[in-house]
Order: sequence, then structure tokens, then C-alpha cells
Amino acid sequence: MTASRDNLPEPSPGEPLAEERPSYIYEVFHQSRRSAPHVHVGNVNAVDDQMALDFARETFVRRRPCVHLWVVRREHLAGTPYDLDDLTRSTDHSYREASAYQDVRKKWEQFRTRKDVDEYQKEDLKEAW
Amino acid sequence: MTTVPDDLKPILADWLLSMADDKLMLGHRNSDWTGIAPFLEEDLAFSSIAQDEIAHAHALYGLAGDLLSRSADQLAYGRNADEYRCAHLVERSDKFDYARALVRQFFYDLFDSLRLPMVANSSFTSLAELAGKMAAEERFHLEHLRAWVLRLGRANDESRGRMQEAVNILWPDALMLFEPVADQDRIREAGYCPADCAALADQWRARAEEILRDSELTVPKSSASNEEGGRRGRHTDEFKELLAELTEVYGTEPDAVW
Repeated sequence: MTASRDNLPEPSPGEPLAEERPSYIYEVFHQSRRSAPHVHVGNVNAVDDQMALDFARETFVRRRPCVHLWVVRREHLAGTPYDLDDLTRSTDHSYREASAYQDVRKKWEQFRTRKDVDEYQKEDLKEAW
Repeated sequence: MTTVPDDLKPILADWLLSMADDKLMLGHRNSDWTGIAPFLEEDLAFSSIAQDEIAHAHALYGLAGDLLSRSADQLAYGRNADEYRCAHLVERSDKFDYARALVRQFFYDLFDSLRLPMVANSSFTSLAELAGKMAAEERFHLEHLRAWVLRLGRANDESRGRMQEAVNILWPDALMLFEPVADQDRIREAGYCPADCAALADQWRARAEEILRDSELTVPKSSASNEEGGRRGRHTDEFKELLAELTEVYGTEPDAVW
């Protein structure tokens, strides 16, 4: 995590900070293992990206394994409204569900036990399945 | 497992206790802020730092305890005031001024994060291992504190003013962090205390001055006191109060099993 923070712009000497420093809400996403997707775990209040990462580490990496953290200012997230019509389709798309494939194994088992399947095919089926 | 000669055991223990006592007192003082720090996330972060320091102290008391055949608890809570080796910086109350709490922790963490990589080369192997582990945590502490010093020093007149006042008040005490314990030279010769610790004060000063300047704060002109300080068992009146509070529960029943 220190490596990623090295790349963040830091207020540099001579560069005046604003008179008024508002704080922002940062949404925090954490990755429990390198192969896992980032998961939203909550948010923190901070004045800039570096402090947000610092606070996110303290607040959300106390008791759970974590290899990586993202923080994003809430204003930088675009989202959908809560009206479900926006997210779901109204016509039938049940072909997208894999429910039809759940019967396939049962059908194979039934086929294998049929008496008119000859011995050679029976051996073949055993290996293929 | 390093075998320490009997005549060096008390000196090595003294030096370990100076580290442990600093951390216990700091951790205790900082825990006063839990629940009342400026805002929630900072409360968590600062309390975490306090917890880390106390955990470090616990481990160091364990090492010292092995040398002196006493338990960590006995060492942490059962000594007389003049047997403690913490520096004045960590004894004094911050009077619930958060700027002071931040600057104090900053001065200490800078000291520790410069010192620990040196201590990781100690010939006292259990200390060297422990120092390696503590160094990683101290680096996080320093990053957090430095981030605050930088931002508060440069934000506006009020924050800069309060930070500057804290720096001015704490600077002379910070310089006394480097006071050696009695006969420290002898454990330096043995390699338990790394030789480059002598350069530590200058390194700390250079780095502290750099960070303070970046934060638009001025470096005080004061230098270290010539009097003996906490490393020799000379403590402030505030320390006596702090110790009484810290040891109150232990004191009622020192042999209690927890």
C-alpha cells in the first residue's frame, strides 16, 4: 500500500493550500486477496486522497485480511436511481438463466441406465461423463 | 539466543526499559484522546497508534524481564518513580491540546523510525527481530503524523499558530530523547546498542527541521538541557501523577492473576 501512496500527489512546499479546506466523503473498497474483486466496506471523511487512504486503513483493515484499498470521492461516483425499472428488463429473458442445464445430468443418468443402450456405448458414456 | 554477560545485563535492561517506558507513557497519554479526538476517523487512527505503542512496550518489557528475572507487569507497573527511564517529552500532559498531542507523537515517531532500523542490527538477536517488526508500524505512524504536521502547518493562521506553539514548547524535551542511559557506552561496545545511535540526534534534527520547514513552521533555537533527565531517573512532578494513575489498579493487588 505504501507503494501506491508514493504515486499520489502531495501538497508540495511553496504550494499554498486553500484557506478553507472542506473535507470529502470517500467511499472505501477493499480487496481481501489479490484474486478477489474489491468490495465496498463503508466510507471515511478526509481532506485529501492520502489522508483518506490512511483513515480507510485504520477504520476498515483492523480485523479483516486486506491486500489492497481503493478510496473514491463520493462525488466521483455515478449511480442509478433506486427505481427498479431502470435496472431490470420487462420482457422475458429467462434463457439467460442456466436452469435448463440443471436437468442435463439427470437426463444423462437416465440415459445410461436404459436397457436398450448396448454395452459398448455404456462403457463410452462412463468415461465421457 | 544471545547470552548476555551478567555485568552488562542491568545496562542492557536499562536501555530496553528506556524504550519500553517511553512507549507505555505515550500510549497511556494518547489513550486519553479515545472518544474525544477531533473527528471519528482521526480518533480511530490515533487510538490505533496508542495501541501499537503499548504493544511494543509489552514486548520490550518482556525482553527486559527475561534479563532481570521479573515479569513484564512488575516492570511496567511495579517500579519506583526514579527507576523509570522515560524521557520528559512523554511525561508531560498535553493539556488536551490536540496540536501538542500531534507534535509530541510526531517528534517521538521520527525518533523511533530512525532508531529502529539501526536497532534491527543489534547483536542481541531477540531485540533485533522485535525492532524489525516495530519499524514497519512506526513507519506508518510517522506517515500519519507527518501528514498532519504538513497540512496543519500550511492550512491557516490558527492551525499554524497552534502547531508552532506546540513545537516551541516540546522542542527542548524532544532533544532529551537522545540522552543515553547510564553506562550506555558499554552496551554499545558489545554491539547490543548499535554504534550509529550516536548519529541519531543529528539525523533526527535534520529531518525534523526539514519537515517543519516544509510545513511553514519555524525551528526553535533552543538546545538540549545539560541536566540529567528521564534516562537517569530524574522525572517531572507530572510524571509522579501519571505514574500514580497508571499503577493505581495494579497497586491495589500486585500479585493478582489476570
